Amino acid sequence: MANYMYEEKEGFDGKKKKVLSGTFDEGKPDTRYDWKEKLATREERIKYLKTALRYWYSNEWYGSEKNKQGG
Amino acid sequence: MSEGKIKTVDRATEELIEKAVKENIKTVFSRSEEVKPCPIGIEESCCKICAMGPCRLPRTKKDTKKDRIGVCGATIDTVVARNFARKVAAGVAAHCDHAREVAETFLKTAQGEAQGFTIKDEVKLLAVALDFNIEVEGRDINDIAIELGEKVLREFGKQKGELVYVNKAPKKRQEIWRRYAVVPRGIDREVVEVMHRTHMGVDQDYRHILLQTTRCALADGWGGSMISTDLQDIMFGTPVPVLGSINLGVLKEDEVNMVVHGHEPLLPELLVTASREPEIRKLAEKVGAKGINLAGMCCSANEVLMRHGIPCAGNFLQQELAIITGAVELMTVDVQCEMQGLMGVAECFHTKLITTSDRAKIEGAEHIEFHPENGLDTARRILRLAIENYPNRRHAVYIPNHKQDTVVGFSHETINYLLGGLFRASYRPLNDNIINGRIRGVAGVVGCNNVRTPHDSGHLTMIKELIKNDVLVLTTGCAAMACGKAGLLTPEAAKEYAGSGLQEVCEAVGIPPVLHMGACVDNSRILVAATAMVKEGGLGDDLSDLPAAGAAPEWMSEKALAIGHYFVASGIFTVFGTTWPTLGSDRVTEHLFKDYEDMFKGMWAYEPDPVKAAHLMIEHIDKKRKALGIDKARERVLFDMAMRRALG
Ligand code: SF4
Ligand code: SF4
Repeated sequence: MANYMYEEKEGFDGKKKKVLSGTFDEGKPDTRYDWKEKLATREERIKYLKTALRYWYSNEWYGSEKNKQGG
Repeated sequence: MSEGKIKTVDRATEELIEKAVKENIKTVFSRSEEVKPCPIGIEESCCKICAMGPCRLPRTKKDTKKDRIGVCGATIDTVVARNFARKVAAGVAAHCDHAREVAETFLKTAQGEAQGFTIKDEVKLLAVALDFNIEVEGRDINDIAIELGEKVLREFGKQKGELVYVNKAPKKRQEIWRRYAVVPRGIDREVVEVMHRTHMGVDQDYRHILLQTTRCALADGWGGSMISTDLQDIMFGTPVPVLGSINLGVLKEDEVNMVVHGHEPLLPELLVTASREPEIRKLAEKVGAKGINLAGMCCSANEVLMRHGIPCAGNFLQQELAIITGAVELMTVDVQCEMQGLMGVAECFHTKLITTSDRAKIEGAEHIEFHPENGLDTARRILRLAIENYPNRRHAVYIPNHKQDTVVGFSHETINYLLGGLFRASYRPLNDNIINGRIRGVAGVVGCNNVRTPHDSGHLTMIKELIKNDVLVLTTGCAAMACGKAGLLTPEAAKEYAGSGLQEVCEAVGIPPVLHMGACVDNSRILVAATAMVKEGGLGDDLSDLPAAGAAPEWMSEKALAIGHYFVASGIFTVFGTTWPTLGSDRVTEHLFKDYEDMFKGMWAYEPDPVKAAHLMIEHIDKKRKALGIDKARERVLFDMAMRRALG
């Protein structure tokens, strides 16, 4: 934690809070950050849908609609 | 033009308004002083749907109790509800006709008949195919796409049943829609039915008219707009974070400037491709230009900005001003939000104004029709015209020195990924941070500019107030561009403008406090993100349970009303500023502002003061937090390494 900078700010409840300050790298990115490129095959893509977007594409998830449902 | 009244809070705009005044060029800003809003029309107290009228039915100061009834006996409530319904239907028609064009191009792309288009995003194709119950295992990508294109096109002409995307909504929301029989059957059918029911002498109960208006609006949010967004993502790529720059200062004095203005991203995508071709670049050098500078305007700008980082010259009220720089060789316009006034301004300069859609021409403009079969050739032809026009500049160029870096591209898939990473992608961290009180709630602030409100001021004042109060803002359309110009779309903005809790989350995830989610049709992304939050759990089981609100402080178009109405019908409290089109009838207004809360758990509000409007939204968010039992923000824990890893 030693490298992180903190500052004090007021929260919406009126109390003072210690807040973590910027952690991103300096400078500007020169490319798009296309995270989907990491999914190279059809299997990986379908697996991704079933996990990341499980709310719609998987039977295996528990959320507000607890009755396990199909896609 | 009158002195003193603030017209904009944007420096670049101000400088070019001054230039226009000096050079005696008419713009929307000067015309708005010559043409004042009609006091009867502004509250929709008039009917002109049959030739026995028009019937003007304003409130009389002398006798406020007097019944206001048209020649046919139609009450003021019927008249106002009919006018509102027709506006919503026009907005829905605009988004959905855009969707149809995209769907037809998509099918041609899958069939190999659309020049220059490909299927770029297989992940999204698979997802949407699954939405439409299409078998994907072991099938060729084009096969899947053809079946999808055909099924999507059927959504427009379907006569019965339910639109497919309705199934994406939380189950409880679907039940509410079914209870009130407002689930859209087919996109076109709902628009036609509004037009029929609001014809002279048909539906004459304002509540009944508004129910069909609701069904029609849902055919946009959970129909046409969602189709546009999804198919555009498949063809052009789902937006991911990209750095761009925004405002009139993106135009370049020594390059060929070409502005793409409008809404459908089809031709603009091909212009991006063609502008990178070596022959086109060489041609530009030949006429003495250092290159070709493609820039966007209005929602076309949002589309190419978030997919390619193409610079954005500005939003709705800046369209004429771009030409007034004297640096624009050519502007293409397709559909929606293109002022006819552009032609008059273009005639004062060397700028070529080109209409490109078979549905929209502007008198005096050159018409080069875009068809997907030869789309790339058309793009090349238009670029050549722009290049050839570069030596014809006849005015001293004046480009305001104002532009701003901006990070855009927050599709709901990307937010999901940023929150959890590839293997744990989830809205869980967002929900947790709402539950623990770091984030107070979420607001969608969207919509147009309106010359009756100082340009960009409504958006910026409201959004700064919201983020200061730890409300994460999702934005689209011209509102998003206002934020970009004011520097709110960078991660650094969190430190400067956000409350402590929101700042901390933004710092940890590396996102701005205001997330640019795209063009007007991409408000459907906000619906899907909100649905993911509901389904993830912990924040109730319907969209109306979320500590969330929506707003369009500077709205002007009928599309904005359609968007607002599908947000309301989806359970979201939605505040509009500037003006409100049902003030002519207390009962219609009361129905939309109060009864709709009982019926749809979402309702409209009107508040022209953006700070007061922000506080209405915050009050609503707090009411929802209380109902969820999360009103007392838990003791905040500072992020340690493990928590930060879990977040990002
Ligand atoms: S429909 Fe009725 S209220 Fe409307 S213009 Fe005709 S007569 Fe007047
Ligand atoms: S936000 Fe409004 S003005 Fe801007 S492009 Fe969309 S509809 Fe047009």
